[in-house]
Amino acid sequence: MILMKIAVCAKQIPDPANTMEYSEGTLNRPDEQVLDDTDRYGIEIALQLKEKFDAEVTIISMGPEGTQKGLQQALQMGADKAYFVDDPSLKGANSLMTANVLSQLALKSEADIVIFGTESTDGYSGTVPQQVSRFLNLDCISYVKGIEINDEVKLTRQTIEGSENINLPEKCVISVTAGGVEPRYPNFKDIMAAKSKPVEKIDLATLELTAEQNLEFVTIENVESSKAGEKVVDEGEAFNKIIEKLKELKAI
Amino acid sequence: MKTLIIGEVSNSTLSSGTLEILGKAKELGTEFELITIGSVDAPSIGIDSITQKYVKRNAENLQFNNIATMISEYIKDNEVKLVLSSSTYVCRDIISFISVDLLSSPVSNVIDFSISNGSVETINSINGGESIYKSKVNSEHALLLIRPKAFEPIEAEFNDNYDILEVEDSNIPIFNIFKEEKEGPQLEDSKIVISAGRGMVDKDNLTMINELANKLNAAVGGTRAIVDAGWMPYSQQVGQTGKTVKPDIYIACGISGATQHQVGMKDSKFIIAINKDEEAPIFQIADLGIVGDTLSVIPKLNENI
Repeated sequence: MILMKIAVCAKQIPDPANTMEYSEGTLNRPDEQVLDDTDRYGIEIALQLKEKFDAEVTIISMGPEGTQKGLQQALQMGADKAYFVDDPSLKGANSLMTANVLSQLALKSEADIVIFGTESTDGYSGTVPQQVSRFLNLDCISYVKGIEINDEVKLTRQTIEGSENINLPEKCVISVTAGGVEPRYPNFKDIMAAKSKPVEKIDLATLELTAEQNLEFVTIENVESSKAGEKVVDEGEAFNKIIEKLKELKAI
Repeated sequence: MKTLIIGEVSNSTLSSGTLEILGKAKELGTEFELITIGSVDAPSIGIDSITQKYVKRNAENLQFNNIATMISEYIKDNEVKLVLSSSTYVCRDIISFISVDLLSSPVSNVIDFSISNGSVETINSINGGESIYKSKVNSEHALLLIRPKAFEPIEAEFNDNYDILEVEDSNIPIFNIFKEEKEGPQLEDSKIVISAGRGMVDKDNLTMINELANKLNAAVGGTRAIVDAGWMPYSQQVGQTGKTVKPDIYIACGISGATQHQVGMKDSKFIIAINKDEEAPIFQIADLGIVGDTLSVIPKLNENI
């Protein structure tokens, strides 16, 4: 049986528990970044495929290397190796440049199947998986919310009206919605094993890139927020306050 | 500025997102055409004085790549400068594919834009609506994915005046097409929305939310956390990755109010929040905040309404 090759994108992001801060329109990235939870779903699917078929799973990533904590977290789940690009010229890269770089990393990993989360927690553009598929000239099966792995692999796609099924083609890009599968937690052994897995920094100059920066940052302005209104501590009767309001608003 | 709007069919007519973008285009007075994507036969989508093409896709085949190729060629042949579409599943795929063909990165999650001196400036909402982010598109083509409810919809009478374009099949079939039953008031157009979060503790407790919704003729939504937990279908998710709602009254039950949730509901006219945690961020945008246990407040509402 031919070895199946899978590339999964994993993004290192600032800990989402902290407030995001920007300078010159670009998100500030601390040295220690964590694995985007959104990517855990894609990694899980790759690992389930690996368990059924003989597969090699390569993590692909772009962004400041930092302490590599996020990359390690991806490897701890069970991926085999990682390729990443960290280049100062990519600071503030738009989605197309990002997709261009990631598609080159997918090529380098010789992946048949390339897997993404649907959108990163810090950027939210939600276009990179589809753009990568177009760069690679592969079909894109987006918004996958379920997978059944037998001899055939059946994917369930989220649609605006409900859902639909597609059998996983031999070569394609898929994007996975949160909640589609249950990402695994690494145990102590997995965490130790990850430390000896190959992590390779790829020189940007070796990649064939065509996308350029076409979006120029203008400004960030604060909007008048905090319209905080009345706050009532419930001592058993606060529901009356809501009913009063609903009457006033003619909802009842 | 020569503009192309990529629209979608919903319930055999133009989707609300499409009507909203048409509303903005009309206000700008820019020259535009409409290419609408759908899978039904003979939808009622034609509008007087708007040139429209209907891309009728085969629902049982993955054709989005081929549709994008058609539209990319149209954009090049007709020297279209600005392309507008809603941030829906279908249009996100299409715009992403086109962006590679035109080597022009799209701008996602746009809440407003302007055109001056031949260039497009876009506005995004960041940090859960606390700040706006402005950027300028410097490429030959500008591709914008617009968030729902960003603009007032155009009012139109529909006819069947449009050209139909056929699409070639790919070699990927689609099967088991499932349409979720939609009962009662729908999130997008209900005057009252009641949403549930983790503070509801257990899926079974949603029955009290449904009871209240029935009494108020409200639609029910939820946070990403409870949708991921399987308490509600994804179609009911409110927030960044889910739906955007702007009802007259929004009642947030046991929702802490993460920025990703706020993006989907902060423009509601009157926000009522019930949460145990006095420090919950939802209270910063609530018009009426009740610091208390949702599980004890809601049954009392149900008894007394």
